[in-house]
Amino acid sequence: MFKHNYIYSLRLMLRNKQLVFWTMAFPLIMAMLFNMALSNVESSEKTEPVRIAVVNDDNFKNNQIYKEAFNELSKGDDRVFDIKYTDADNAKKLLSDEEITGYIAFKNFKPEITINRNGIKETIMTYVVNEITCQSNVMIKLAFNKLSDEISNGNYNNIQKIFEEQSQKAFNGEDGIKTVTPKNMSFVMIEYYSLIAMSCMYSGLFTLTLMNYLMANISAVGKRSTVSSARKSGMIFGSFGAAFTIQLFGLLLLYLLLIFGIRADFGSNVPYVILISLLGSAAGLSLGTAIAVLVKKSENAKFTVLIAVVMAGCFLSGMMGITMKNVIDKNAPVLNKINPEAMITDGLYSIYYYNSNERFIVDAVSLVIFSAVMLLISLRGLRRQRYDSI
Amino acid sequence: MSDKKVIEVKNLVKEYKELRAVDDISFDVYEKEIFGLLGPNGSGKSTTINSILSLLKYSSGNISIFGKEMTPDAYDIKRDIGVIFQDVAVFQELTVYENIDYFCGLYIRDKKQRKQCIEDAIELVSIGDYKKFYPKQLSGGLLRRLNIACGIAHKPKLIFLDEPTVAVDPQSRNSILEGIKKLRDDGATIVYTTHYMEEVEQICDRIIIIDKGKIIASGTRENLKKLAKIEERITVEIKKMDKEKLEGFKKLEKVTDVSYEGHTLVVSFSGGKNNIANMIDHLRNNNFSYRRVYSERPTLNDVFLELTGKELRD
Repeated sequence: MFKHNYIYSLRLMLRNKQLVFWTMAFPLIMAMLFNMALSNVESSEKTEPVRIAVVNDDNFKNNQIYKEAFNELSKGDDRVFDIKYTDADNAKKLLSDEEITGYIAFKNFKPEITINRNGIKETIMTYVVNEITCQSNVMIKLAFNKLSDEISNGNYNNIQKIFEEQSQKAFNGEDGIKTVTPKNMSFVMIEYYSLIAMSCMYSGLFTLTLMNYLMANISAVGKRSTVSSARKSGMIFGSFGAAFTIQLFGLLLLYLLLIFGIRADFGSNVPYVILISLLGSAAGLSLGTAIAVLVKKSENAKFTVLIAVVMAGCFLSGMMGITMKNVIDKNAPVLNKINPEAMITDGLYSIYYYNSNERFIVDAVSLVIFSAVMLLISLRGLRRQRYDSI
Repeated sequence: MSDKKVIEVKNLVKEYKELRAVDDISFDVYEKEIFGLLGPNGSGKSTTINSILSLLKYSSGNISIFGKEMTPDAYDIKRDIGVIFQDVAVFQELTVYENIDYFCGLYIRDKKQRKQCIEDAIELVSIGDYKKFYPKQLSGGLLRRLNIACGIAHKPKLIFLDEPTVAVDPQSRNSILEGIKKLRDDGATIVYTTHYMEEVEQICDRIIIIDKGKIIASGTRENLKKLAKIEERITVEIKKMDKEKLEGFKKLEKVTDVSYEGHTLVVSFSGGKNNIANMIDHLRNNNFSYRRVYSERPTLNDVFLELTGKELRD
């Protein structure tokens, strides 16, 4: 039954023009449009350093990591920042006079960024400061782990040396703070990551369509399938398998265009890119299944709901501007925990930018949880065999 | 028709909040018969069928098919059932052949056996010339025939047809009805629901008439017609008629009702053997100028009218 349903599900999907457009053609068209619209913007925005102010109070003066980092990032021709060290009142005035993009004040050793609007320069500023915070957290954690190991082995003499080693690594290492420059950042990449996330989530259209064909209260063919002697599980797995196959084919086309046509960079960790794509696709397929079961409306209404959910998720994960990703990170981080597009985008982002796997693993596990929850929600509707009304 | 029961429905009740769509109905369907469920739209025919098929939850009652209780996972029973729903249930993305193959494949795995079944189904509904057509390229009648082929290709022993001829041209309708009779002749048991009394009269061996969820009559065509108080209806085309002359027709033997509307006189008789001769005599004796005269036996519509006080198509 699996094979029979798998083969016919493939035919049904590939001959459905609406499905093929949204799941395969639309992401390719969007990728080409992004390439045309954003490649020039990025190169022009990157060249100029961002003018910022830092509130030079005791909180900052005692924060060695940020002092060193800002010093590194404001040196040379390819510097990231032009920094004015000043007091809080003057920083506010400079910002209101639009002489600076934003200013940074420290409270409890944590930087607080103040900006007046959202734009590319504000995004660069936020991104770099976040990177420094992230790197310093990693540095502290690594140092702490190493120190714990040494102490548990009874080596109390190397403590100072270990801390200095870790500090050096954090500033000068391959993935250290020194490397946090716009040259190493691609703001367009986040758009492409978001596009891949969108493509993964649009796979929900496949399962939405196929599940409608299996539910007696939704379609006439659903009634016919339900009264047949075929077991529903075989039909569901066959449909799901076919949807996954076509989704991966569509995703492959998108990757080929991005890598060989647009020359987008996904870092060197290919297995991780594949893994996050597979998990993202599973999340999309399960979302489509859940909407098919939960939304008690016509097929077109379900299509509209799914497309709206996916586009909203893409918007929040930064597809229409990287600034949105930072706004959500800062103001409503919980949204990123339930938004599968944000998980996929962030997963790809972490493969490209970070040496540590921690962030990737969190994203990957979150996607697995998301898919499992969606499938559990769907299970009741899919297992239902008798309906109250048809 | 044999005396072996294929379906047994006992005290079936289906309620939707305040509406009782099926109200305590019981009936049996026997092997190799065409069993008709006749009733107006909304009378509960489709709800009954969907309950029997375990698609709908029903409030109370017992349903057994082939002597076993019918449940949603009674796959051994379902294997021998074919269903043709009122709505055309085919995939627009698949050709005629592929549609039949897909639905037949839900029952039969063996490709060779399936191929033969598909060919037989195509031949039965006469759509051999359209195998490679997509449903959107077919006329309404051909689409209905494809719908039937999808439901019967796996050669079921029990076939449910729920209003299969709605919005079908006369040629396709005749083809469909002939096909149904052939299926019965080949050994299948048929449950046929419709609101077209002519179809029921044409093909059904036994009939139940449903109204407002209740069985109001059941039996063979002939038995049911006995429920109507008339035995013959004579219609005469007459240009002019006055009240006094109209009253004269009521004096004829066994007349139960007389009406005149739009140059058409209709006289109903409760019995009698020479009604048409008596009628013509009366027309001549009273110097009526008339054209056509024809006689009809009572229809199931008359039965329905007698039992409910309304026409079947109201």
